[in-house]
Amino acid sequence: MASAEKPCTLLVHFDKGSPSMANEIKADLESGDGPTKADAMRRAISLLLNGETLPHLFITVVRYVQSCDDHAVQKLLLLYLETVEKRDPATGKALPEMILICQNLRNNLQHPNEYIRGVTLRFICRLTEPDLLEPLVPSILANLEHRHHFVRRHALSAISAIYRLPQGDQLIPDAPEVVERALATEQDAAARRNAFLMLCACAQERAVEYLLTNAERVSEWPDLLQMAAVDLIRKVCRSKGRVDKGRYIKIIIALLSAPSTAVVYECAGALVSLSSAPTAVRAAANTYCQLLSSQSDNNVKLIILDRLHELRASHREVMVDVVMDVLRALASPNVDVRRKVLDLVLDLLTPRNVEEVVLYLKKEVVKTQAAEAEKGGEYRQMLVQAIHACTVKYPEVAGSVVHLLMDFLGDTNVAAAVDVVLFVREIIETNPKLRVSMIQRLIDTFYQIRASRVCVCALWILGEYSLSLSEVESAISTIKQCLGELPFYTVSEEGESADSSKPAQPVVNSVTVSSRRPVVLADGTYATQSAATETAVSAPAAALGSLASTQNLRSLILSGDFFLASVVACTLTKLVLRLEEVQPSKVEANKACTGALLIMVSILQLGQSSYLPHPIDNDSYDRIVLCVRLLCNTGDDVRKVWLQSCRQSFANMLAEKQFRETEEMKAKAQISHAQPDDLIDFYHLKSRRGMSQLELEDAVQDDLKAATGQFTKDADDTNKLNRILQLTGFSDPVYAEAFVTVHHYDIVLDVTVINRTKETLQNLCLELATMGDLKLVDRPQNYTLAPESSKQIRANIKVSSTETGVIFGNIVYETSNVMERSVVVLNDIHIDIMDYISPATCADVTFRNMWAEFEWENKVAVNTVIQDEKEFLNHIIKSTNMKCLTPPSALDGECGFLAANLYAKSVFGEDALVNISVEKQADGKLSGYIRIRSKTQGIALSLGDKITLKQKGGSS
Amino acid sequence: MVVLAASMMSKSGKVLVSRQFVDMTRGRIEGLLAAFPKLVGTGKQHTYVETQDVRYVYQPIEALYLLIITNKQSNILEDLDTLRLLSKLVPEYSPSLDEEGVCTAVFDLVTAFDEAISLGNKENVTVAQVKQYCEMESNEEKLHKLVMQSKVNETKDHMRQRVTEIEKSKIDRGKSEKAFGPMRSPNNIDMNTRGSGPGAGPIFGDIHKTKEQPLASSPAHSKLAGGMKLGKGQKTNQFLESLKAEGEVILEDTQPSAVQSRLSSVPQSDPITVKIEEKLNVTIKRDGGVNNFDIQGTLALQVLNDTNGFIQLQIENQDVTGLSFKTHPNINKELFNSQQIVGAKDPNRPFPTGQNETPLVKWRIQELNEASLPLAVNCWPSVSGNETYVNIEYEASDMFDLHNVVISIPLPALRAAPSVRQIDGEWKYDSRNSVLEWSVILIDESNRSGSMEFAVPAADPSSFFPISVGFSAPSTFSDLKVTAVHPLREGYRCSSVEGR
Repeated sequence: MASAEKPCTLLVHFDKGSPSMANEIKADLESGDGPTKADAMRRAISLLLNGETLPHLFITVVRYVQSCDDHAVQKLLLLYLETVEKRDPATGKALPEMILICQNLRNNLQHPNEYIRGVTLRFICRLTEPDLLEPLVPSILANLEHRHHFVRRHALSAISAIYRLPQGDQLIPDAPEVVERALATEQDAAARRNAFLMLCACAQERAVEYLLTNAERVSEWPDLLQMAAVDLIRKVCRSKGRVDKGRYIKIIIALLSAPSTAVVYECAGALVSLSSAPTAVRAAANTYCQLLSSQSDNNVKLIILDRLHELRASHREVMVDVVMDVLRALASPNVDVRRKVLDLVLDLLTPRNVEEVVLYLKKEVVKTQAAEAEKGGEYRQMLVQAIHACTVKYPEVAGSVVHLLMDFLGDTNVAAAVDVVLFVREIIETNPKLRVSMIQRLIDTFYQIRASRVCVCALWILGEYSLSLSEVESAISTIKQCLGELPFYTVSEEGESADSSKPAQPVVNSVTVSSRRPVVLADGTYATQSAATETAVSAPAAALGSLASTQNLRSLILSGDFFLASVVACTLTKLVLRLEEVQPSKVEANKACTGALLIMVSILQLGQSSYLPHPIDNDSYDRIVLCVRLLCNTGDDVRKVWLQSCRQSFANMLAEKQFRETEEMKAKAQISHAQPDDLIDFYHLKSRRGMSQLELEDAVQDDLKAATGQFTKDADDTNKLNRILQLTGFSDPVYAEAFVTVHHYDIVLDVTVINRTKETLQNLCLELATMGDLKLVDRPQNYTLAPESSKQIRANIKVSSTETGVIFGNIVYETSNVMERSVVVLNDIHIDIMDYISPATCADVTFRNMWAEFEWENKVAVNTVIQDEKEFLNHIIKSTNMKCLTPPSALDGECGFLAANLYAKSVFGEDALVNISVEKQADGKLSGYIRIRSKTQGIALSLGDKITLKQKGGSS
Repeated sequence: MVVLAASMMSKSGKVLVSRQFVDMTRGRIEGLLAAFPKLVGTGKQHTYVETQDVRYVYQPIEALYLLIITNKQSNILEDLDTLRLLSKLVPEYSPSLDEEGVCTAVFDLVTAFDEAISLGNKENVTVAQVKQYCEMESNEEKLHKLVMQSKVNETKDHMRQRVTEIEKSKIDRGKSEKAFGPMRSPNNIDMNTRGSGPGAGPIFGDIHKTKEQPLASSPAHSKLAGGMKLGKGQKTNQFLESLKAEGEVILEDTQPSAVQSRLSSVPQSDPITVKIEEKLNVTIKRDGGVNNFDIQGTLALQVLNDTNGFIQLQIENQDVTGLSFKTHPNINKELFNSQQIVGAKDPNRPFPTGQNETPLVKWRIQELNEASLPLAVNCWPSVSGNETYVNIEYEASDMFDLHNVVISIPLPALRAAPSVRQIDGEWKYDSRNSVLEWSVILIDESNRSGSMEFAVPAADPSSFFPISVGFSAPSTFSDLKVTAVHPLREGYRCSSVEGR
């Protein structure tokens, strides 16, 4: 049905239009000179494009505009003819008056001005009415001989367009021969290309013959023609058997050295589709790599990387060989390019090349250190992550990089430093051999760490993995050194504190500012972090660090970071507990213990003083107090929990992570396998079967069709029936029901209207109006409905964003005996947002970035009869069609509390973020909030409405 | 390799113009364009966005986006080239790079886009070429227009000629009513060789009746177009121009009769037309004496249909001293010299047919003396006070009646028209060329001589020379006539008008 719709060739912004302008236009067309006429034509076209029909204007145009010899007017006339309705909507045939334009077109085709001829021929390419084309054919053919290439070019494409029409072979039966002759003598590149394309589309065997006879000279062809040739080869090899594939491949290989990069790119693509032989794929991959390094445009690089990604999927073993070439593209300063390169490379790791890759990455890391580029930090972070990934896969390489990376713990780019420390944490667990050297290194570099988050993690590592006596001792002394002299704060220190509080003050401010925004944590908890956020602290902390370079912990704690303080306390507790195990001398152990206690007490004292604007938060306070109690009163159970269970749970987490990754890999691998009930194609049976799977798989064609929106999937009929909406009552004089089809960007209403009366209804009109981001495409028409007959009316509605819309309206009609118009009001049609969003995934970090960035938030209080948190989550997921990003393991267990992140993407590419935080109340009810964030208001509101509506659950 | 659409939109997402190169529905393209602003990220260093189905390649131009929509398999290198070209084209056509500017130039942009992308395929063109294509300046068209113009002019000339001829014939008719000699053959007496025999004459019979005198001893239409020149020959064109102009005026003054209109329309369909023309070119010294006296004559034949091409013409002429004939190489010379019959050498070859006249015989008369001049002009400028009086008189010989006589006297540059004191005939002052034109429509027995006097501010007497004179006359010096036309093939009978 959609194909019957008229294609649209032109869109013009025009907001000054009114139907009354038609008369002005008419007057201008009749009387005006060239420029006036041109202006009137412009207005006429704009009006037409905006839905007016201007039925009477056509004759005026025929009478007054056709004869005008102003070139601009003639061109506009062609545009007008292009836009004007040329077919009778009822019969689908060309309107009879259209024949009037033929004479003019023919004159134009014989016009002495070659450009008039050319543009007319171009217009003819878009003409589909055989009745109109028929008288023009001789003139079109005559233009093939024209002296000027501009005319010949368009004449060839016009012939091509006509021949491709359904009745084209009757209009120009000998078109292929004519074009082939023209091709043989033609000199102009574009004209040759058009001719060749025509042969490719309509007479492939001729095109192939031409190509093969000229195979030797293909490399001398102009690039336009080369492109067409490559295209043909692709097509031929896909549809034909593989008998003479060698000849085509030879041509492609010749073209690989063509001067035009576009051709080279196209060749590489063709080569892959032509053959899966490793040589061919390797040639293609090499070509891509060459282009990757020779092209400076980021778009090109990114798309070539996409192609390489595709190659990797199907020909991994070949791609492994070019991995170093791909890596070279890291030289590009663009972050996206670098990220893609790293992604690609990480997928291509093998035991053989991993050393080399890691070496290269290491060099890059060093380079970022040397040249302090703007994006250096971000890039370094990417590199660290990449190296991390490498070592996860091949732990043996970790040793060579980990020490280098540990130099970056003190990096000013917090994200990079965090990545490094996470990396270290993982390696130290998985690579016991490296533990000793790493701990040593960490103790050495600890004082350089500036960021609180990094500190926290580093402290944890020190606490967990300092095993030997010397390690524990040096760890304790390092921490003490970093904390500086005790106490943190004394009343008598008034003068000094005034000094140090000055730099501290702005820090605190920035912390409060940044902590105002609630943050969604990785595990889905929706928290308002009162602790200093790492981003805000890093810079001032660095500034403080320069004052007291070794006392990084002290400055952080003095800035109010009590979370860090509590971690310090825990670490010290752990270290002391361990020391008691490894230290033979009880005295030393006790000494360390008291030292630790002193520190904790000092922290508590600081926390409760008025020195800082914020007192210590309860969590940290409790934790530190717990540590104090523990040290005073140790027991075996506690010891076990602190010294073993922590590490155990971390190991579990790593194992879980790896397990999930392998699961995903497996799932991916699973997809590519053929299903037992898959269709099997036999080449030899193909022709008899009509459309085969093979033809369906013709990627380029499909791609084009998908792009122009010609794909309409047939929904199954049962679904169809579910979507029928009753619009009026059965006892109304007019019964109407609608069947709503939602395509991506448009909604089609098929309305069936039935006259229930014994009278003829005249001027029956279906008037629709919309609310929300919907727009009616065409105006309603009037119909006459005989007694008890029915009529199908179709209405198109355009959607431009994801949002719940309402379509409402009424049916207006007249009967012969009642003078005034009768109205039947229709039921509202609600367009469901669920039709537009689909589950999607995104990385945790991206989710959080988007959450911070998006402006619209809709907060819905939880109000449900569901008693179980898990069940509630599943209910929401099901009713909103979103994906839960929080891993199932994090949702495990019964704690009466649940937090999760959901994510979905709309067909328009908009993101929809949802966070659910629920808690089980004492009375067994769930309470909490669902927050929806999006870039646009529409999604946030509609999704909120949807959730409010659906969250009750219970009955379903 | 296919560009689906090239569009321009504002950053807020308003579509200003979009040109689709592939068939797609309006809903589809509007949807794609509406989705675009939401997909464009900020702070990216690349300028393409891919969705499930399509790829947008775009370029921000101030507050606007220029974008092309392609399928995902499209060749990015080509698309970027195309985009680059388009981005260069936009400032060429849009007066300013904002919404308003683009809106005013929407249609120019569309045509420019059309040149850069032909039906979705990239064209290898430069900005200059696109501009050239859009301007549509065509040498061929100019040439064609020139040709058309000259054709129109030719037709106009032809028309004027006809008009003068009609005029002449009208005067002739007037003359013949006054019973002047049969010497003055009327213009367009054509013979009819249609197979209907003598009966073909009814129309012409009419003509002759109105003329009341069967003077058409010659079936040919003869004409004397003469140019007599005083002084330098440069003035000829101007002279002829004015002559034509005069002819037109005359047409307006006289009411063409029904017969005349028929006369003017009939010749087009006459199967055979013979035209006899003599041109007279004379240069006379100011103080008397002939510098150059040359008469050239032509006999031209026009045959409309092939079937009438097999004919021979019988001619006769007066014996004038100094008369020498030259014939077309295809003419049988022997026959001409012995019997004065003009016929083709090869009897199986017809005379050429069509709308063109074929000259068959040419002649020249030389060694004529001053006494044979058909018209003599005397000019006497005399200065008196601050004015110069010029007296001019003409004297025509009684050999010819002269039509449309125009005597053009160059004048010194004047502010106002000269004051004409006395004149036989009419005058006109052409201030642009500062020429006084004295015209006499007809000089015959009644006015063999005439004079004119006018005054201009004092001027050098030599500034009134050279005077040029133009006229036409119905008879010729050689008095050549076609007396009969003989058909050569069976089945055609000739309606000879001989002996009428």
